[in-house]
Amino acid sequence: MIEYLKEYFDFKAFFLCLALVGMGLISVYSATYDAGAAATFDRQLIWAGGGFVFLLVMAFFPIKTLQRIAFPTYILMLGMLLVVLVVGKTTSGSKSWFGFAGLGGQPSEFAKVATILALAAFLSRTTTSLSNVRHLVIAAGIVLIPIALILAQPDLGTAVVFFIMLLPILYWAGAPNFILAAIFAPIIVAAGALFGTFALLFTLTLAGTMLYWTRENRFAAAVAFGVTLAIGLSVQTVYDRMPAYQQKRIATFLNPELDPRGAGYNVVQSKVAIGSGGVFGKGYLQGTQTQLNFIPEQWTDFIFCVPGEEFGFAGGSLVLLCFTGLLLHGVHVANLSKNKFASAAAIGIIGVFATHMLINIGMSMGILPVIGIPLPFLSYGGSALIANMAMVGLLMNFYSNRKDR
Amino acid sequence: MIHDEQFGTPQRRNALMGAILVIFAVLMVRLYQLQLLYHGELDKKSEENSIRALIKEPIRGYIYDRTGKLVVDVGPSYTVMIVPEEFDKRTMPLLSSLLDMEPRAIDERISRARAYSPYLPSRLKRDIGFESLAALEEHLPLLSGISYQVESKRSYPTNALAPHLLGYSREISDAQLSHVGEYYRQGDVIGTAGLEARYEPALRGERGFEYVSVNSRGQIIGSFEEGMRDVVSKEGFDLILGMDVELQAFAESLMTVNRYSGAMVAMDPSNGAILAMVSKPDFDPSILSGVTPSELWARLNTDAQKPLFNRAALTRYPPGSTFKMVLAAAALEGGIINEKTRINCTGGFRFGNRVWKDLHVHGSTNVVEAIQRSCNVFFYQLMFKVGFDTWTEYGRKFGFGKPTGIDTGEETTGLLPSAQYYDTRYGKGKWTLGYTVSLAIGQGELGVSPLQMVRYVAALANGGTMLRPHAVMFVNNKSTGKIEEVEHEKTPLGISAKTMELIREGMRRVVQEPGGTASLARVKGIESAGKTGTSENPHGDDHAWYVGFAPFEHPTIAIAVMLENSGYGGSKAAPLAGMVVEKYLYRQLRRPIPRPAAPKPDSVATLTESLRGNP
Repeated sequence: MIEYLKEYFDFKAFFLCLALVGMGLISVYSATYDAGAAATFDRQLIWAGGGFVFLLVMAFFPIKTLQRIAFPTYILMLGMLLVVLVVGKTTSGSKSWFGFAGLGGQPSEFAKVATILALAAFLSRTTTSLSNVRHLVIAAGIVLIPIALILAQPDLGTAVVFFIMLLPILYWAGAPNFILAAIFAPIIVAAGALFGTFALLFTLTLAGTMLYWTRENRFAAAVAFGVTLAIGLSVQTVYDRMPAYQQKRIATFLNPELDPRGAGYNVVQSKVAIGSGGVFGKGYLQGTQTQLNFIPEQWTDFIFCVPGEEFGFAGGSLVLLCFTGLLLHGVHVANLSKNKFASAAAIGIIGVFATHMLINIGMSMGILPVIGIPLPFLSYGGSALIANMAMVGLLMNFYSNRKDR
Repeated sequence: MIHDEQFGTPQRRNALMGAILVIFAVLMVRLYQLQLLYHGELDKKSEENSIRALIKEPIRGYIYDRTGKLVVDVGPSYTVMIVPEEFDKRTMPLLSSLLDMEPRAIDERISRARAYSPYLPSRLKRDIGFESLAALEEHLPLLSGISYQVESKRSYPTNALAPHLLGYSREISDAQLSHVGEYYRQGDVIGTAGLEARYEPALRGERGFEYVSVNSRGQIIGSFEEGMRDVVSKEGFDLILGMDVELQAFAESLMTVNRYSGAMVAMDPSNGAILAMVSKPDFDPSILSGVTPSELWARLNTDAQKPLFNRAALTRYPPGSTFKMVLAAAALEGGIINEKTRINCTGGFRFGNRVWKDLHVHGSTNVVEAIQRSCNVFFYQLMFKVGFDTWTEYGRKFGFGKPTGIDTGEETTGLLPSAQYYDTRYGKGKWTLGYTVSLAIGQGELGVSPLQMVRYVAALANGGTMLRPHAVMFVNNKSTGKIEEVEHEKTPLGISAKTMELIREGMRRVVQEPGGTASLARVKGIESAGKTGTSENPHGDDHAWYVGFAPFEHPTIAIAVMLENSGYGGSKAAPLAGMVVEKYLYRQLRRPIPRPAAPKPDSVATLTESLRGNP
């Protein structure tokens, strides 16, 4: 019986997801554990319930139908992103909120799912070939339009995540290494340019090597390198001519600890919180950093501090293990799927989770710049929780139907 | 060309899984770094963040006199505290006006406080008045990082001043901070002179800490771990002095009304306890409690009258004739003379081609009479018979040329010359015995403090025991709840009773018999003994000396009086000593002493009355 169930029910994804959501609820409760904050936890609990419903719906949704409605859904999401730009509520400086009849939502969270499904649907068409420039442009368009709309909110963090999370799909779908290298090269060189001439030269060498290795023809490689070089140099020129305060802003973005009382405050406090947790942590609801509100808005972007401080290395690594297990399982599901749409979508989902996890936890521990994105399943926030649980539902769905073409 | 086979190839699957594992590894390594490698450092930071130690200053110990009267009291003093990290610069003008402090001065305080700790409260201004406190309290909600604490400051409820003995405490200086050890922090008060300094570790107590949790804005959320880690402050120990504060006040006022500059020390000859120690001119120690304005401090230091200078312990003048008993003891003990030995005083003494004159011609004189009449010639002669080295030896026995070991602070070693001293000073063979002639009568290159003198006369009073003079008799140990006696060594002189008897008899006659030089030191109804001295001063008027003790048979008070530039010991110093002795003995005994119908001399009675009204 269990063997039979195991064949059709993705226990791994299901329980890893439940574990992460559970840890999230525990963490949100702790992070908001003081007078009048119980409402936050209650809402998150309700959303988790809602997420569970979405998870089940998605787990049993017919894949063919999903594939068919992927593109219309994507168009609908684009429309919602547009609407939110016009009528959306402004929260912490960006118009990303959408509210009616007492319900609010962040369309960008759902747009992630829709974009993944649309891209997966496009890439899995038998006629699509990523060596076809027109197809490549369409694929890029599917990604870039929502990015542009999200940038207009403006929400840089989500836009960056959007961009990075789609690379695994392209990779999985068979994009030539050269294409990926050509996308990566300008990014790393631009980043290098901000760290000074030595870093610029180093990243240029790296980019050149990458392009050379993956080249399919010399001309394209040379053009890509030329573009990369131009971008690198112009970034450096622009940076050098910037007023000092803007340079400082960029410098603190890259290294928040340069400004421990300002931009870097959260990171410093977050590192203190995690580091002070030690091996087994200070105990649930005993984390001084957490309980005394040293980390502003901890229940959203800096939620990882809670398991880190209160459950220590044990808690922190449990979270990482659950995530990693879910991610590896996702790749496994993609690998098993006979259906190319499902396979590509699974990788897309993994891309979303992996990007969020890396950036969010990396930021909390002070190894990546502060980009305000939530940690999937753990951070407080309904839209993200529901979207993420829905995506796990999709993974389970793909697992169940892995043998269908 | 991209081929369909490129979709989801095993290499790409492996590459993706590899990438996931790399991400996992990077995050795990970082987690390991933060939580295991840097745990100590970050944990400390988190504690600093969220735990504040509120300092609970202990109450400094009280000081009582031998009769149980409170001499040094403790009153409240309000100190403004600042947490540098929490202070909002925009509130500087308000703070500056409330504290009547220049913003620059506040800034300087803040930067010093920051060096101690940016997150812990440090003192900003001590001892603000009650009105300033009221104004400050009203504005406290506007002033983040500012608070106040109640500390103690000294107050002096009696008429006595005794600043040199009691000493004073001041805010710790940077120089002191660097060597007094971990306990002290900037802004602390530390005993810097007198008993306050010497008994600092006992008086100060131990500060306590109350640990509280604070939130990210520094607001106190509550006690930390239910106060389990709190450290209760330990009260400072009380000192119980040998001083009789009424006697002290009386002695001070005697000096004051006569405008004397000098010192007076009275001691209990049975144990060395200081009954009174006066040094004039002096100052009121209460001006140094709380905050001392720097102008006042500068004035005290530069005043030509040197009020901070403890003349009782630090002056070294020749003792004059009061020193003659040293030579007498040396001669009697060495068998060079006995009670019957007579020396003819012709009114002068010739040595080589120099003549030392005496004031009188005393004729044939024995040792008792020589002391009684203070015959110089007798002692000039004795000096050669005894020898310089033996004289030095006896001087040393009586505690000269070395510190007395008193517990009130600085003192002089004085100067007791020896052959070695002259060899160093003038060169071997370049000085003659003529140099030592004046020493026989306590003049010349001889320097003693009133403190050394009272110790010396106390040993004569008690029959030959050298005592360590001490102000503190008992310490009320608040930790054990016991009153502990402070032990002080007693050293027997090893001088025979016979010698002592002769010397004491000479001293008795000085006061009690006609022809004695200190008849003005007499106290009706009580037999006293003493010796006058006049210290020749090449720079001005002579210094007057008197040493004595009473009652003669069973002495309970020994006294040394030194009055700078005031002339003869017999006429100036002796009467003061007599009045102090009388004041002490008549009150202490508390029963009528068998004495003639007319009690105290009028002069003393009226003087005492006038002094009580105007101390």
